[in-house]
Amino acid sequence: MPVRVAESSAPSQVSGTNSGNTSPPACTLLSVGQAFSGTQNVSSLQKEEAWRVNVRIQGCDLEHGYLCGTMEALNVPMADTPIVVTFWEGEIVDTKNYTFYTGKWEASPEDDKRHWTKFPSFAPLLNQVEVDGGKSLDLSNYPYIFMRWKEQYFVNVGTDCGLTIAGFYYVCFSCSDGSINGFYYDPNSSPFQKLELKSTNEGRSGFSFSSYELQ
Amino acid sequence: MPSATVNNHRPSELLSRLASAEPEVKLRALREVKNQIIGNRTKKLSFIKLGAVPAVAGILADSADDVIDYNNNNCNVNNNINNILVQSAAALGSFACGFDAGVQAVLDAGAFPNLLRLLSNSNQKVVDAGARALRMIYQSKLVPKYDFLQQKNMEFLISLLNSENENVSGLGASIITHSCETSLEQKVLFDAGILRRLNSLLEGGSLSQRYSSLESLASIFKNNSELVSKFAGAEIERPLGSIIDLLKDRYPRTRLLACMCLIVIRNTSPHLLQDIGVKSKLIHILLELLDDPGQVGDEASFAFSSLIAQKEDLQKLALEANAIDKLHHHLQKGSLRPRRYEGILLALADMCSKLESCRSKFLSLQVLNLVTDALTDDSADVRTAACICLKSVTRSIKVCNVGNSFAVLVLIFNANIAYEMPIQNLSAGYFMNEMVVVPLVQLFLDPSTSVQVAALGAISNVVVDFTTHKCIFVQCGGMKQLVQLATSMESAVRSNALWALKNFVFLADNRLKEGVFSELTASLLSSLICDPEPSVQEQALALVRNLVDGCMNSVEFMFAEDGLILGAIGRQLQNASKAEIGIQGMYALCNVASGNEFHKEAVMHQLFPQMVDKNESFMINFLQSNDSQLRTATVWTIVNLTCPSSPGAFGRLVKLRNAGIVSQIKHMVNDPCVDVKFRVRTVLGQSMAFGDN
Repeated sequence: MPVRVAESSAPSQVSGTNSGNTSPPACTLLSVGQAFSGTQNVSSLQKEEAWRVNVRIQGCDLEHGYLCGTMEALNVPMADTPIVVTFWEGEIVDTKNYTFYTGKWEASPEDDKRHWTKFPSFAPLLNQVEVDGGKSLDLSNYPYIFMRWKEQYFVNVGTDCGLTIAGFYYVCFSCSDGSINGFYYDPNSSPFQKLELKSTNEGRSGFSFSSYELQ
Repeated sequence: MPSATVNNHRPSELLSRLASAEPEVKLRALREVKNQIIGNRTKKLSFIKLGAVPAVAGILADSADDVIDYNNNNCNVNNNINNILVQSAAALGSFACGFDAGVQAVLDAGAFPNLLRLLSNSNQKVVDAGARALRMIYQSKLVPKYDFLQQKNMEFLISLLNSENENVSGLGASIITHSCETSLEQKVLFDAGILRRLNSLLEGGSLSQRYSSLESLASIFKNNSELVSKFAGAEIERPLGSIIDLLKDRYPRTRLLACMCLIVIRNTSPHLLQDIGVKSKLIHILLELLDDPGQVGDEASFAFSSLIAQKEDLQKLALEANAIDKLHHHLQKGSLRPRRYEGILLALADMCSKLESCRSKFLSLQVLNLVTDALTDDSADVRTAACICLKSVTRSIKVCNVGNSFAVLVLIFNANIAYEMPIQNLSAGYFMNEMVVVPLVQLFLDPSTSVQVAALGAISNVVVDFTTHKCIFVQCGGMKQLVQLATSMESAVRSNALWALKNFVFLADNRLKEGVFSELTASLLSSLICDPEPSVQEQALALVRNLVDGCMNSVEFMFAEDGLILGAIGRQLQNASKAEIGIQGMYALCNVASGNEFHKEAVMHQLFPQMVDKNESFMINFLQSNDSQLRTATVWTIVNLTCPSSPGAFGRLVKLRNAGIVSQIKHMVNDPCVDVKFRVRTVLGQSMAFGDN
């Protein structure tokens, strides 16, 4: 029988007979319509640099471990427009549809571990991930949600804009305050570009939630 | 090529001949009536209007009585009587065949019991004719249900099934198909050993016996997993084997019926027929049967739908078997009969209901053009099916990569103009174009409610648009019509219209929301919140929730006409009949409570209108609800009301504490729902900021 994971303890391993849900919990701060803003550090050896970034969740299908949305990068040097918008799709590490091992996008298990271990909240999971990619973890009560976000296309500029979306983000979302940390991975770009986002309330004195339903 | 002319008598003349005292004349007239009406609905109707059915039924009744009178007396007379019985039964069967008006006329004329009497006639031709006629009549739902629960009826049914005459045993099977509906009826038939007999008809019977027994087996198994598992157990040697064998039968109808029977079994007991070989076989056979030009081809797509509906694994297999290409190919043929047209559209709808890969295939083949053509078809069933198909394809927010690149261009033909657009986000403007939206909006005023509801369902998905294309929907009058439909007499139409408006205003800019709100008005919206139908209440509240999200100015919608809407929400929450209403209502209040001081106080006024008795607060019930979403929405509202940065937060906290809500919140620190647990901690943290502990 699976044991619920207390946030202070390591997540349990699921026994072979477990038939319950082991996927991460649903979280209102990670639902459609929610917005985040922050920065992406793109510093290189030559210079310190960070771009302002806004993210909006547009779609969420927990059953299939799927999330999607837009990412706006503001005042990007080289870009013709003040805002570059990309559409991204996310894989939620839910042990059912996706594990911690990426298995594509030029990311080896070593690359995966190197990035995931950058998140302190990943530490309790490492041992089991090394065994089976985390397939047998019960994340249903874990206060962090791990994801990979992959930008799919530019929304408002052409592919000839001089920017690349070849890589993807390792992402860790905190259910407690809605903050998002991420690391961009692209073998051809600066390593460990850090993405830091906070849940925004768009000038309101509190949190607001809208929703749509597809029929 | 020259052909012999047939000198048909006029119906009125034939009717007078039917009344002739001369048996020969009567017999010839009966034959001619039968021959004239076979397969001709117009003729059937004109004869029915002239009163032919009671006349033929009268002849049948008189002749059946004569059988008794003349029994064994006169061979010639008996021959005449038997011939008359055979021809009158055949004529009545023809009137009833595939024609409900004919069945009704036969029933009204009281012919049914006399046809049953023929089954005990000593002459086999008479028995056969009676059984044939009754089988045709039993194809209609107008015939009263056969009562299997009466012992004598069950004995009679078993005697029919045991008959050597294939029409008589076929009649037994037809009666089962017609009347076996409830699990009790299924059990009674099972316990009476009917399955064994049906199985032997499958294995050793004639073609028509096979058809009938496959149909009746399906009706005995339908939704009765207990019987299916008993059947699949040790009851007979190869329980499902005989049905599976028939998948290879040379006759298309047998293959179709065997598929349908296996689909019923599989849908009833999903653990059975898991063999991928059988699943693939069913898919391939049904796709092949689509090529049949007749009724089998028409029905094959419906069977295919029932096989794949809601089942991703089968949809995936069907995609690999090129199902979408094949269905597309049939659509391309054009000039389809309505039933076939409808079935193909519904099969496409089921194919595209879950998998993005199927939707990609659909779009890459440009099936969309053919489906939008079907939106203007003469048949309401076809129009409904086209809407359902569009609804299914648009049930997606995922990027649709056709081929290897996201930037594949697809040609969309609009009238004679071909223009290119990139396939990107399926709902991000891809469908928000005039080719799709205009005909859908026109169907909002369709005379058929089912078309209206289906069109609203499709548009609900289309309007979830993250680009700037929403204006297209306003420009073609769609938004105004949705508001009109929100006042429809049909609750399904009201609910779906509000659903579409809710999706339309999701993340919309304030100008667009203002347009919707001024069209809707606060008074209409508040009356919809209090609609008698719970599904309408839920959608109206969800619409309000989205209207007041986003730009702060949008919260002001709630205060139009003296806060009519806010008051309606408060009243509805006091009496919420189901959790979904509470959830949407609480999120609407939560969004208002994320506004300024005035907004937060207005929400408090709805939550605690009089503060008569703390036990009366619906908030407590919501916090204690089993529905974690309702608890979450309620705690979020409290988070917003007690946000320490707002000046009146402390006063509100005191009110919440006095109402017992803070103490309830304290009990929820270890709520089983992670989301609730964290929001509860936020509330308690905020409360501690005011010195509460």
